[in-house]
Amino acid sequence: MNSLILDRISKSYNTFRAVDRVSFAIGDGQLFGLLGPNGAGKTTTMRMIMNIIVPDSGKIVILGQSFRESLKNKIGYLPEERGLYPKMKLVSHLQFLGEMKGMEAAKAKKKAYEWLERFQLGKWAGDRIQNLSKGMQQKVQFIGAVIHSPELLIVDEPFAGLDPINTRFLKDILLEMKKAGKSILLSTHLMDQAEKLCDSICLINKGQVLLRGEINQIKQKYSYNSVLLEYQGDSDFVHRIPFVRKIDDYGNFMELRLDEDADPQELFKLLAGSGLIIKKFEISDASLNEIFIEQVKGSEK
Amino acid sequence: MKKILKIIKREFLTKVITRGFLIATILGPVLIIGIMLLPAYFMTVSSETPVTIGLVDQASDFKEKLDDIFSDTLKSGAQRISFVTIFPMEYSAESEKYKKLLEEGTLNAILIIPQDILEFPSVTYIARTVSDLELMQRLKNGLSIVINREQLRRAGLDPDQINKMTRDVSIQSIKIERGEEKERGFDQEYMSALIFLVILYMTIIVYGSSIMRSVIEEKTSRIIEVLLSSTNSFQLMMGKLLGVGSVGLVQYVIWGVMALLAFMIATTSIPGISDYISVSPSLIFYFILFFIIGYFTFSTLYAAVGALCSDMQDAQSLSTPVTLLVVLPFMISFMVIRDPTTDIARILSLVPFFTPLIMFLRILLIHPPAWEIGLSIFINVLTIVGIIWLAGRIYRVGILMYGKRPTIPEILKWIQYR
Repeated sequence: MNSLILDRISKSYNTFRAVDRVSFAIGDGQLFGLLGPNGAGKTTTMRMIMNIIVPDSGKIVILGQSFRESLKNKIGYLPEERGLYPKMKLVSHLQFLGEMKGMEAAKAKKKAYEWLERFQLGKWAGDRIQNLSKGMQQKVQFIGAVIHSPELLIVDEPFAGLDPINTRFLKDILLEMKKAGKSILLSTHLMDQAEKLCDSICLINKGQVLLRGEINQIKQKYSYNSVLLEYQGDSDFVHRIPFVRKIDDYGNFMELRLDEDADPQELFKLLAGSGLIIKKFEISDASLNEIFIEQVKGSEK
Repeated sequence: MKKILKIIKREFLTKVITRGFLIATILGPVLIIGIMLLPAYFMTVSSETPVTIGLVDQASDFKEKLDDIFSDTLKSGAQRISFVTIFPMEYSAESEKYKKLLEEGTLNAILIIPQDILEFPSVTYIARTVSDLELMQRLKNGLSIVINREQLRRAGLDPDQINKMTRDVSIQSIKIERGEEKERGFDQEYMSALIFLVILYMTIIVYGSSIMRSVIEEKTSRIIEVLLSSTNSFQLMMGKLLGVGSVGLVQYVIWGVMALLAFMIATTSIPGISDYISVSPSLIFYFILFFIIGYFTFSTLYAAVGALCSDMQDAQSLSTPVTLLVVLPFMISFMVIRDPTTDIARILSLVPFFTPLIMFLRILLIHPPAWEIGLSIFINVLTIVGIIWLAGRIYRVGILMYGKRPTIPEILKWIQYR
């Protein structure tokens, strides 16, 4: 069953088509990535799912129902523009958000404390939000989106501005929620994050879907014959190897695209005899990042 | 609906537990009580205090005639204005002594009547303060009558005829209130009307702009989108209006109860004061009612303005039209206080935006017919429903708009959005 189905939804502002016939479906318990460059229409799409913006056309089915106000209690939403009541106490703020999702006051309070504990914010439960650091505030924002254990979680750029420790922490929580059977829609422009986390993705640019499907299939389909190389020394001669079609050279790291019928082992032999210090040699699928750039560039031609 | 209640609860708690609210709520009654009781107290004191005037009567026969005219008595039975004769010789010899008497308050004033007063009607009034206009006016009237009578007598008219021709007109102001007649002085009527008017006006402005500020705060802190994932913009707006409104209502009720208590204490402890207090329970009821009407009319507009603004600077200029809508009735109401019976006042009291201040004033001053009050409430409730609908449409789009200030055609388009 699908937790969320978008069927050709569109939204225009005057003559500008912010979202143009976007369709995708998220299966139960799936972690789904909505990818795209800045201004692609990710946030508008998410707002339409939450019925904050009404689509001009198209159909949205959430948890088997078309939109109704009561559905909001089953969805958690972390908007891109984060918001908190700066003057409220942490726990009251979270309790209020919980209650707004239909929780009983006492239960919301209890859950708020549990989550704060989990995010190591228990000490600050009674403090005003404005007194917290940015990072802490971001954690509070995330708790606000999940306090009511939603069936469907929609998070817009959840990792933006987080330090590596908190990024990992958040990632773990998302995976744990997925394990618990929740469906998650995540938007990001960080491809390596998406690549590691998501089961399926939908890539949009300028409001239109460029690519959609399970991440493994996509990678297979777009897999080019490529090699990742970490090295030290003069790499000039690599450029002259005839079956290397394209090189992204970063100085001590390069990404090589080989001819389709070329054998990477041949390359390895050449490198081994070259005097170049090879630190790492990896035969890779195309990275999502590469596919992303390729697709976006292609669509803009 | 349950979510509206949660929003109301949050607004209420965050607004009530503030220093500003406590100060306003406690100082408010003190102010009202002061406002209500002080003028009444002064009226009681000044009208119940006998006035003694030293009369330097160079024309020699004025004392008796003045006594005749100023014959009214106080509740205690004493003469309200009594005259003490000072012989002119004595006065010119010992004027220092009399000045001292004035300063001590033994004499309230000295009135010098010249010998040729009938030819040149001019007297000298000496007092510590010359601002007791009411007393001076009465003296002037009384003296005029005496002079007129004297001149008529000299012209050879019959004393009976003279008395008939020169009767002093006495005005007793009577206000009809729920069929009861009450004697009232204009000044104190004017005062209490003014005070209620200012409180009504101030609270409408204060609560209205507080709504606007709170909408802008939610916009700038970007909490609005989080809230929209739990509820919709209409519930958000209504929750805010009702939440802040209930804070205002609580404040009014506290004030009302304290005013009534003060009224009860005052009437039992200072006899006679009730005649001078123009605050009745029905008045407090109307006061609260018209606060509610005014609050919803203007706060809804302020909420819509808040939704249009991205920051407080925008708010300054965008809220001007709404503020004008509050200020204009306030200015006009000064005209209404002067004469609440004009047709303009009658019509304006039925016009939305004007009703809260002007109908309240009319109720306070002249007790208009019940159907007019009912009609004004009906018209205003309809207006409020309309404004809420309109503001809801603006709010819905506006709260997610940041950056550039929308133009009027844009706002009109927002209203038409699906």
